[in-house]
Amino acid sequence: MNGFVIAAIAMLAAIIPCGIAVVRGKVMDALVAYEAISAIVVMVLILLAEGFKRSGEFELGVLLAVLLFGSGLVFARFLERWL
Amino acid sequence: MSPREIIVYLLLGLAALIVLASSAGILVMRDPYQKLHYVSPVAVVAPVVVGLAVLIQSGFTEDSAQTWLALVFVLAGGPVLTHATIRAARIRAEGDWRARRR
Repeated sequence: MNGFVIAAIAMLAAIIPCGIAVVRGKVMDALVAYEAISAIVVMVLILLAEGFKRSGEFELGVLLAVLLFGSGLVFARFLERWL
Repeated sequence: MSPREIIVYLLLGLAALIVLASSAGILVMRDPYQKLHYVSPVAVVAPVVVGLAVLIQSGFTEDSAQTWLALVFVLAGGPVLTHATIRAARIRAEGDWRARRR
């Protein structure tokens, strides 16, 4: 286990407070916590790919970054008016 | 342990610390306006630190390029998402201000 994997585990632990905010907060609080979680998860995937020396798995981070950006915008737009 | 490894570990520790502190801030703050202040370090500062750590560890390789590609999306998307979220929160709370102006 190297420093990259340890940093990834620490960042995964940081998802727990955000998860509590998602579950217990109001809708907009949950959206804010979701955006933080999405940024954390992208970093975790990159750290794990580097930590385990798997070049192919860097693509997961790239894809997730693009998809989570779009999904965050969709959530914000729908929560603005329709939900 | 080489100086390069020490720098990499310091950067990784800094990134983890930023993320942990920001997530605690998101949990503790009371409303979305306050919570959003703690998303910026996660979406802007920590990705740069992680990207630097990978760059120092791997050098200018395909892995570093893919890392920075992913982090550029996170970096570019963070302020846009923050703006969209704060706009949505305000419209939900007080209605659309543009409709009142007409």
